[in-house]
Amino acid sequence: MRVSFPHLGHLWVPVRALFTELGVDHVVPPLNTRRTLTLATKNSPEGLCLPFKLTLGNFIEACELGADTLVQAGGAGICRLGRYGRTQECVLRDMGFQVQLLTAGVSEKKLQGIMQLFKKISGGAPWARIVSAVRFGLAKLNSLDEIEKEVHRVRAREKVKGQATALFQEATKAVDETGDYDSLKRRKQDYLERLRAVPQNGEDPLLVGVMGEFYVVLEPFSNNDVEIELGKLGVEVRRDLFISEWTRFSLFLNPLGINEKRRLQQAAMPYLKRDVGGDGWESVGEKVLHARHFDGLVHLAPFTCMPEIIAQNILPSVKEDIPVLTLLCDEQTGKQGMLTRLEAFVDLLKRRRASRRQKVGVH
Amino acid sequence: MVRVGIPRGLLTYQYLPMWKTFLEALGAEVVISPPTTRQTLAEGVRRMVAETCLPVKVFCGHAVALAGQCDYLFIPSIKSVEPRVYNCSKFLGLPDMVRAVVPEAPPILEADIDVNQGRRALYRAIYSLARPLTWNPWRVREATRLAMEAHRRYVQEMVREKKTPPQALGFSPPEEEAPHRLTVAIVGHPYIVHDDFITHRLLPRLKGLGVRVLVPEMALEEEMARAMAKLDGKAYWTYEAEVVGAGAYYLDQEEVDGAIGVAAFGCGPDSLMVDLVKRYARERKRPFLTLSLDEHSGEAGLLTRLEAFLDMIERKKRKCE
Repeated sequence: MRVSFPHLGHLWVPVRALFTELGVDHVVPPLNTRRTLTLATKNSPEGLCLPFKLTLGNFIEACELGADTLVQAGGAGICRLGRYGRTQECVLRDMGFQVQLLTAGVSEKKLQGIMQLFKKISGGAPWARIVSAVRFGLAKLNSLDEIEKEVHRVRAREKVKGQATALFQEATKAVDETGDYDSLKRRKQDYLERLRAVPQNGEDPLLVGVMGEFYVVLEPFSNNDVEIELGKLGVEVRRDLFISEWTRFSLFLNPLGINEKRRLQQAAMPYLKRDVGGDGWESVGEKVLHARHFDGLVHLAPFTCMPEIIAQNILPSVKEDIPVLTLLCDEQTGKQGMLTRLEAFVDLLKRRRASRRQKVGVH
Repeated sequence: MVRVGIPRGLLTYQYLPMWKTFLEALGAEVVISPPTTRQTLAEGVRRMVAETCLPVKVFCGHAVALAGQCDYLFIPSIKSVEPRVYNCSKFLGLPDMVRAVVPEAPPILEADIDVNQGRRALYRAIYSLARPLTWNPWRVREATRLAMEAHRRYVQEMVREKKTPPQALGFSPPEEEAPHRLTVAIVGHPYIVHDDFITHRLLPRLKGLGVRVLVPEMALEEEMARAMAKLDGKAYWTYEAEVVGAGAYYLDQEEVDGAIGVAAFGCGPDSLMVDLVKRYARERKRPFLTLSLDEHSGEAGLLTRLEAFLDMIERKKRKCE
């Protein structure tokens, strides 16, 4: 049994650590490339969304490396995601791969579901070992996300563009290679310091929130590296969505009745009164909440994503005033087109900020 | 008298007798928007984001047509009508979307219909729908009973007399027995299949070509559920039976010569469900045509594909004989 899983940003680092700790034979699919997308588009039903296609592409490339057991997210009452596994299995069988697809019911069974899945994959390892492996995986995840937050800050301010991104790539590799808590902590501190030491240009950058659908926000390949491009334009990116935040709340705190999204949902109430699956409700809430302290918002959604279409229809009627740029992601998206739109958007935000400052007499 | 408007789109085809009986039993006058026209669609397209699916745009157009004609719009948010089986997001957010894009609309009667929340929550939701019309819970109860009865009669009538929803609703005249050369099953959601404007009169056209048409509503619910279980296991979407169930059921029937899957471009659930039926048809070597409709689909292209498909079925039938 050789296990594999789809990519989602740098999620592969903690998952690899976890599987290694558990002694599970596994393979990390190659990072998303043009080839992944082409393979997936060729073999998947045409009307499906980008997250389906990219994760399918990961599975195909993993199967080529000998994987036979694949892990996919699932569950009832979310969007199409709950049915991905079923169709992906059909497609892979049609392609001649004999695979078994395991779905982790993240939306309902929470931590318990995930732990049982690990138990199954590891062939019944003792609970103590599973818990310690999960803890180590989470430690790596948290460190990476902490570094990434710093990267967002530095990217907008650095004198020579591209240094923060390069450092982050290096950090990902370094974190992946560590095998114990001590060196993990040391390396994290080391990279945080190196990031802070990057020479800065001393300007006050625009603040832009990135929000929208979970997958396309977190997987840089699917959104054409929108955060890096915004950084190059001298914009500081803020987002609430991090995988570590998600695991902290969905797996541990939500069952205890702590809901980190309640603030967003309550903010969205006057415009959207109910959960519509996916992240539609939160997207509307982000606009309401962040109108005051952000200069603009970039709203990311896969093409034909049902919850985000609802959000898109509602966003213009939100009275809180903040410019929103919606970018749809699919296999047809060209990077140049996106760049042009981003540049125009950033110009608009700059002018808006200048005119606002003039009004209140701040220079 | 309070006038309540029901837009002629989406779930109206499934539930109109139920809703109408309910509202009339509470003393309201029910106004239904006129059939879809170019104007309806244009209004919907103009107001909604481009990638919104066709039936939702049409629904929005109907809501616009009703604004100014009534005191309330009746648009419940139907999340789940079976335990642990959920509806597409668009049905959930429908009242909110209409409020956002049709600001001139009257107040909307909305309630979350979700059977997973338990009986009490469901009763409370129904009561809140009736609140502007009456405060008396006993009247609401009686109206609900009458409404459920009307719904049952409506479903039975379609199965027993082989009627399409518009025929059972009295929107179009009942069918006369006509000689036919082929029998074709149509698989898809009633709000697409039975809206003659968006399908370019698909059903009458097929009849004109000498084809007997079967629609999902004519099959027994239990039979479709059984066929679906075989193909798909437990349903994931609320209206999965009318696509996967009907597809699997009709493709197994000897009398059916082929099936046509009718879906809206960009429909999330259909992208998965129609694919399942397509796979099944391929496996069983039965003719299957997928028609993807949006506001740009041209009539001539559709007709050509339809004729080619029918010719193919006929040739296959001749060969087998």
